[in-house]
Amino acid sequence: MTSGKTHPNYTAIWLWLMALVGLSVAASFLPGGRTFAVLVIFATAFAKAILVLANFMHLRFEPVLIYALVLIPLLFLAVLAAALLPDFVWHSLAR
Amino acid sequence: MAVRLEVEEIPGGIPAGKVAMWWFLASEIMMFGGLITCYIVFRLGGSGWAEASNHLSMTLAATNTLVLLTSSYTIVQAFVAAERGSAPALRRHLGLTILGGLIFLGIKAVEYTTEIRAGFTPDAGIFWSFYYTMTGLHALHVMGGLVVNGVVLLTAGTAIKHPHRVELAGLYWHFVDVVWIFLFPLLYLA
Repeated sequence: MTSGKTHPNYTAIWLWLMALVGLSVAASFLPGGRTFAVLVIFATAFAKAILVLANFMHLRFEPVLIYALVLIPLLFLAVLAAALLPDFVWHSLAR
Repeated sequence: MAVRLEVEEIPGGIPAGKVAMWWFLASEIMMFGGLITCYIVFRLGGSGWAEASNHLSMTLAATNTLVLLTSSYTIVQAFVAAERGSAPALRRHLGLTILGGLIFLGIKAVEYTTEIRAGFTPDAGIFWSFYYTMTGLHALHVMGGLVVNGVVLLTAGTAIKHPHRVELAGLYWHFVDVVWIFLFPLLYLA
């Protein structure tokens, strides 16, 4: 963010973050199968991360170069996960 | 007066210091991301992880999450104060941020003590090896952030003239926060 630009409403973002922490903790107590609870827990984690990145870290105001610096390592991570996946699938099938 | 290197703009109009910080954070994404990816793959391929995770204190971890997110809020308010040229507000918000980091480390120390006393040492199983590696590496980053924020606090008079210093320190601190946002569900909730 360049000095002098308008700031987001940081207090509102912080309140959202607090609420999302509450939601993720509450989701871990959901009865029944774990799949839905885990989905909610990680959806709230991604929502929190996006709120921090976009607003506190000002990514929403940054040019393409800064986005590239964030997205390229994430792409490498996706390749790493994809490379490890066959090993996981093989061991799961072998059990 | 000489132009400070970190505020010199590269082609495209971005301050060099900001590009450097994001470049550094990109390497950090790879480090924590690699560790987290390995954790997920191991966990999906094994059993007994959820049972081990149940020995952790969700209450303490949730409190730590609230503390760290709040410290992210206070450091961004420190940046606003620096832009407005208010040294007392800058010092107050940076002080609160540092206090948040210290509370986080204090709670983490209580957790480690409780777990180690119960026999859950780093060699107690693969979950515990991952747990201590990931949270320990994260705690080292919190300590590093405390040093950076402390330096900015001690040089608050200069930071008022160069608010980007507070922003760069904040970028690092927020990143440490984002890492914890993922460690919390991975280790304590899932």
